[in-house]
Amino acid sequence: MSSRGGKQKKGNVTSEQEEEEQPLQAVLVADSFNRRFFPISKDQPRALLPLGNVAMIDYTLEFLTSTGVQETFVFCCWMSNKIKDHLLKSKWCRPTSPNVVHIITSDLYRSLGDVLRDVDAKNLVRNDFILVYGDVVSNIDVSQALQEHRHRRKVDKNISVMTMVFKESSPGHKTRCEEDDVIVAMDSKSKRVLHYQKTQGLKKLQFPMNIFQHGSDEFEIRHDLLDCHISICSPQVAELFTDNFDYQTRNDFVRGILVNEEILGNQIHLYVTQDGYGARVSNLQMYDSVSLDMVRRWVYPLTPEANFTDQQGQGCTHSRHNVYRGAEVSLGHGSQMEENVLIGRDTSIGANCHISNSVIGNNCTIGDNVVLDRAHMWNNVHVSSNVEIHQSVVCDGAVVKEAVRLNKQCVLAYNVVIGPNLSLPEGTVVSMHHPEEEEEDDDDEFLSDDQEVGHSKDKTRQKAFNPAEVGPEGKGYIWKASMNDTEDEELAQCLWGLVLNPDPESDSESEASEESQDRSRSVSPEIDDVNAFQLEVLGTLQRGLEENIVCDNLVLEINSLKYAYNITLKEVMQILTRVVLEYPFQQQGTQLTTLQYTGSLLPLLKTWSPVFKNYIKRAQDHLDCLSAVEELFLEQDTHQTAMVKVLMKMYQLEILEEEAILKWFSTGATNDKSRQLRKNQGLQKFIQWLKEAEDESSEEGE
Amino acid sequence: MPGADKEADLTERIEAFLADLKRGGCGTGPIRGSGETARETTALLRKVTAQARWSSAGDLMEIIRKEGRRMTAAQPSETTVGNMVLRVLKIIREEYARSRGSSEETDQQESLHKLLTSGGLSEENFRQHFVHLKANVIEAINELLTELEGTTDNIAMQALEHIHSNEVIMTVGRSRTVEAFLKDAARKRKFHVIVAECAPFCQGHEMATNLSKASIETTVIADAAIFAVMSRVNKVIIGTQTVLANGGLRAVNGTHTVALAARHHSTPLIVCAPMFKLSPQVLYGQFLRPHGLVFALTCTILSKVNVHCPVFDYVPPELITLFISNIGGNAPSYIYRLMSELYHPEDHDL
Repeated sequence: MSSRGGKQKKGNVTSEQEEEEQPLQAVLVADSFNRRFFPISKDQPRALLPLGNVAMIDYTLEFLTSTGVQETFVFCCWMSNKIKDHLLKSKWCRPTSPNVVHIITSDLYRSLGDVLRDVDAKNLVRNDFILVYGDVVSNIDVSQALQEHRHRRKVDKNISVMTMVFKESSPGHKTRCEEDDVIVAMDSKSKRVLHYQKTQGLKKLQFPMNIFQHGSDEFEIRHDLLDCHISICSPQVAELFTDNFDYQTRNDFVRGILVNEEILGNQIHLYVTQDGYGARVSNLQMYDSVSLDMVRRWVYPLTPEANFTDQQGQGCTHSRHNVYRGAEVSLGHGSQMEENVLIGRDTSIGANCHISNSVIGNNCTIGDNVVLDRAHMWNNVHVSSNVEIHQSVVCDGAVVKEAVRLNKQCVLAYNVVIGPNLSLPEGTVVSMHHPEEEEEDDDDEFLSDDQEVGHSKDKTRQKAFNPAEVGPEGKGYIWKASMNDTEDEELAQCLWGLVLNPDPESDSESEASEESQDRSRSVSPEIDDVNAFQLEVLGTLQRGLEENIVCDNLVLEINSLKYAYNITLKEVMQILTRVVLEYPFQQQGTQLTTLQYTGSLLPLLKTWSPVFKNYIKRAQDHLDCLSAVEELFLEQDTHQTAMVKVLMKMYQLEILEEEAILKWFSTGATNDKSRQLRKNQGLQKFIQWLKEAEDESSEEGE
Repeated sequence: MPGADKEADLTERIEAFLADLKRGGCGTGPIRGSGETARETTALLRKVTAQARWSSAGDLMEIIRKEGRRMTAAQPSETTVGNMVLRVLKIIREEYARSRGSSEETDQQESLHKLLTSGGLSEENFRQHFVHLKANVIEAINELLTELEGTTDNIAMQALEHIHSNEVIMTVGRSRTVEAFLKDAARKRKFHVIVAECAPFCQGHEMATNLSKASIETTVIADAAIFAVMSRVNKVIIGTQTVLANGGLRAVNGTHTVALAARHHSTPLIVCAPMFKLSPQVLYGQFLRPHGLVFALTCTILSKVNVHCPVFDYVPPELITLFISNIGGNAPSYIYRLMSELYHPEDHDL
């Protein structure tokens, strides 16, 4: 503690120049803390999965190194020794590496929050650092963002804690996957983030008003940003994670900071780049598109032929139409590599093959007449003749036998054998792991690998393969993601992620359904209030009847309910009318005859007439009450004849005035049904009678 | 252990240089001109000569070749690196020959007969040890470095011979050499420069800004307007990335267009190229890399679109009127001769 204090003091004294000379640090989280890539990531951690025949973590480290990071802390959890082995063998751990890599492993990390709390506990970072995941592929030059970040911190006295890096890409761009879609409200001048929300396919979004009320007068709400998952953090970020032990992810953190902005005074800024490339491989759909982008050279200078990992024999040549060939590649007669093809070393391809938009690893053998389109094959894959593979991932050591067809979004995990003569339906995932073992492993998920592997081997011996699923000579089980596991939304289970809906039909459909959802959501609270109020009123009246409570007290109670549920006077009256008229049904069931109904209702009306009188005072109130009566009898059309009697009674009790009834009768008809109602004989007579009575009274008056 | 320390330091320097080369050219790395790359390469090779362990010229050449191969592999499109390696190899040969007291090595290509007979022997001869060889080689490399420092100035000095008053000159993209050349001429003469912007990277904009700061009358035109404007142009002066052995160019894309337009209008095409850009390779074809600019426009259909962004054009030698290098003006047909003076024929493939 004392050393820390001393350091800080020293930091204050030293000039700004020296401060800038402190080595730039980075925290690389080589774990995704979810199971999106299961079952593939059961055998290999996600950071080591090959993308363009190079492990993903190498891209991230190259990105960090090229932006001038001099010290990187790699945090691993799931299969940490594999990552460690890989890094120790790579160029990053050579003594000459400009970027010193420290590997920190622990089985206890369960989230990004845990990692950052550990960063804070071990006091690893002294200055601003870059926070990335081990599956980020990027060539963005963040030095400018870093400069802006430092400048802000200098000017504003450490108010800004984080700068998020975004890439401009309009909606519909293929590297935007729907689940990562964000909408950001920002202050245009200061680049401050005011609101950050994942859209998650919603068509309606709500912004808190207060974001528009303070600060400058220019705002931007942007939906054309792609979150690169690169953030420049100040050391406070780690401390904030320690303080708020419920922060698990960066989203939690961002939300927490934005919500508590006024209390804590911390701010988040963003940096938007236009021409860099940055994306996180968060699911297989992203894997597919990032891999193709890489082959199409969007991530220049991280191109396949650059061999930036300095591995022997990894080099390849680049020729027209983005065709890359490694060393010792043999290509059969009549085979075509159409475009965007990367072939690893020592791979042989048979005759009359047709390959486009694919990445093929090292030491693969491919038979004759094979069609590969958007296939991602890793190392040592054997593909026999007459195979067709469309937009699928084939992992290390998998064997595809003759005449197999893999439809879109299939995954063959490690060492699976498929076929012969089989067509896998869209979205099939085949793995050597039996899905059931998953559940049993659930608890010891973070135990060491060896144990787990041994575990699974026992299992596979016990269970037979289903030839209908994987073919007569096949080995492997269809993987079904178990839905019961984890707190995450079901998205988390989906290996390929949400697919963008390119066809307008399904789009509009989902839109419609979402809209209806939205409507019900927005209207529902009101309805709930009204319903609750109605029930309460019913209860009150019931009690009043049972316990003989004075009507004044009932009025008081209803009034207080009115305020409690925030109900308007008009609604109170309509609900009251409704409750009273429905009261016999409530008490004695809906099978009442009209006679019984009127018989039980009329005394009630008499009892409660003071309540009605209290609420029905103005002419408009009378009309509202009448329309409520009408509405009810339109619903209960078997009892329409009772309506006259009710109106008569209410007239006699002086709840309703004759003028109001006459006015209602003459003007109120709005649709066919109510017109029908008005043709009711009894009602006609009643009106006639009323008119005559009026005439009489007026005559009398004269 | 000072020796081991030095060696570690050396490998570190080389690794850093390689990494820089790999990242070079695009936004992420430090952006440098080829002149600077040439100087850095030479300085690094001098360090190798000084610090690596070698006992004879043969050893040293082997070390330099090995490092040279790695450097050229790191960024194949940057030919100056390879050129500098060849120059240093040539220097070692010369110094070795001088130490042996024979000067025949320098003019050995004079007769075909000599070439045939002496080819196999020369390699063995490099095994001899000389005390002063190291110092001499370093001295010669230093001379090369001084030559490199002065190249741009040497080229710029010739500007007044080629640019006359009230001429209209066209150039394309940005070249530091051409910029210096034009600025030098502008000290005495008034003339008009038309710059083709060279989309999508638009280096031409920067060039035009720099020229107008030196109070040269400058106009930027779109690449599509090159042909239309060419009829008004008196001279085309361009830079290049590499001068190939046949006298052709590998230059920024758009240069071929300019050269063809110039040929159509019989406008002289002058290429400002320092000697270190002469490369013994003969290259056809283009190097491709896309750029983010097209991203924003076509994103909705982007998954079905391939964007190619060629960076270099090949310009055949018959379209070029004159090369201006730091040692004077030469016709394209003479390039092969310069080449044989600069590089030893046995080194051409590293």
